[in-house]
Amino acid sequence: MPQPAPVYIVASPRPRVGKTLLARLLIEFFRAGDRPLVAYDLNPRDPVLAGHFPRLVRPIDIADTRGQMMLFDQLIASQPVTRVIDLGYKSFDQFFAVMAEIGFAPEARRRTIEPVVLFVTESAASIVRAYANLRKLIPDATFVPVHNEAVSVTFDKEDYPPSRAECRMIRIPRLSPVVRGVIDRPSFSFGAYMVATAGGPTEVHQWIGTIFAEFRELELRLLMGKLSASLSRRSAPAWRGRGSF
Amino acid sequence: MAKPAVIVVGADKGGVGKTTVARTLLDYFTAHHLPTRAFDSESPKGTLKRFHPDVTEIVDVTLVPDQMKIFDTLASVEAQVTVIDVRAGMLSPTLRALRDIGFLEAVKKGQITFAVFHILGSSIASLNEIEDTAPFTTDARYFLVKNYVNNTSFFEWDQATHAAYFNKLKDAVEISIPKLNEMAYEQVELASVPFLTFVANKGPKGDPANYSFVLRGYVRHWLGNVWAEYDRIKLNDIIAAGAPVNNPRVQAARS
Repeated sequence: MPQPAPVYIVASPRPRVGKTLLARLLIEFFRAGDRPLVAYDLNPRDPVLAGHFPRLVRPIDIADTRGQMMLFDQLIASQPVTRVIDLGYKSFDQFFAVMAEIGFAPEARRRTIEPVVLFVTESAASIVRAYANLRKLIPDATFVPVHNEAVSVTFDKEDYPPSRAECRMIRIPRLSPVVRGVIDRPSFSFGAYMVATAGGPTEVHQWIGTIFAEFRELELRLLMGKLSASLSRRSAPAWRGRGSF
Repeated sequence: MAKPAVIVVGADKGGVGKTTVARTLLDYFTAHHLPTRAFDSESPKGTLKRFHPDVTEIVDVTLVPDQMKIFDTLASVEAQVTVIDVRAGMLSPTLRALRDIGFLEAVKKGQITFAVFHILGSSIASLNEIEDTAPFTTDARYFLVKNYVNNTSFFEWDQATHAAYFNKLKDAVEISIPKLNEMAYEQVELASVPFLTFVANKGPKGDPANYSFVLRGYVRHWLGNVWAEYDRIKLNDIIAAGAPVNNPRVQAARS
């Protein structure tokens, strides 16, 4: 079985819910494992993620067709690379509209590229609706809800069902304001902090450790899902794949 | 042998996307495995022939030898469908020529299935053309095509004027061709291949090409929408069955 190449899309239709923080954490998690990695910052006016990782992250504006080609033509290229997308809230609607129109998700799956939408949850009815609509619009993507405790305390888990039972919600614990100030510094590296800071576990150690453990689990669950899907296909008597153009 | 079908694609003026519509028809019939041939009257250098060279011949439909080439062979060639892309402004003279050679009479007797795709421009002149062509199309399936492929704006005319013209055609059916992303359209033009070939990422000779996945996606989605319009008017049934079907009344005046 070929190695799956996941595309993690960190998304929410709202600003300031921790999308860029989540994208930073993902990037540092994959870098800590020496994983071949490419990331895209889809916040054309304020590419904060690209500021954190100037050599790794490509800022792209998908408002025009050239930008869309720059992004999606690279994403669909069959390379064993993990991709992370920090999807700015202003590009949210257009990104998924283009994705649906060009048939990205089914073609990606055909090439063993797995689109995984990490959707930051909130209790607001409009965001719950946006999540449900998105799942209908892109049925071939894997949806993983992310609960950032710093932005929403209460919400109903039933409102954010993952698209696959094994891909349960990821939790980003709340940090104290002082520590939050530390990690928001442009020069702060989660990976480097975990390795370099001696003197016993701190709040940041625990926080990063918890989140990285969640990412590890998610990866395992995605892999298990792929394996079981592959096994069930092999045992099926006459599987017929959907043709593609 | 199935009854032959002739589709005339015409417009009163150039630049309204007549050949684009003819190209989508050829792709549609290819996808439905209906043997098709085409005639391009844009002499000497036909645009349709550039995109579909294997099935297209360049002709002048007002000349007798070329009329013979098209109509005398209807029953004998393998192709069940004949698509004629009529040069801009030549729709009425072409229909008149078809009447003169007895073609419209054969249509009336049910020997040939005949459809006209009249591509409308955004000016009032294109409505005048409806008046000119109406007398020749009483036994044809008449389709009025609003082509938005290049985002042409329609109905700069007021609704009353619009309705007055459209009511003159009691059995016409309206079709809308949606807009296609400009860059995707340009890339297909540059590639000079059928839309289907572009979507399949192939070159003019069937060789592997390297077109943008995004642009291919836009073309595939657009072509799907165009074909949905052809399915809505049951084009495949009209052509494949070769049998008369009840004409739906024009909806345009109500829009």
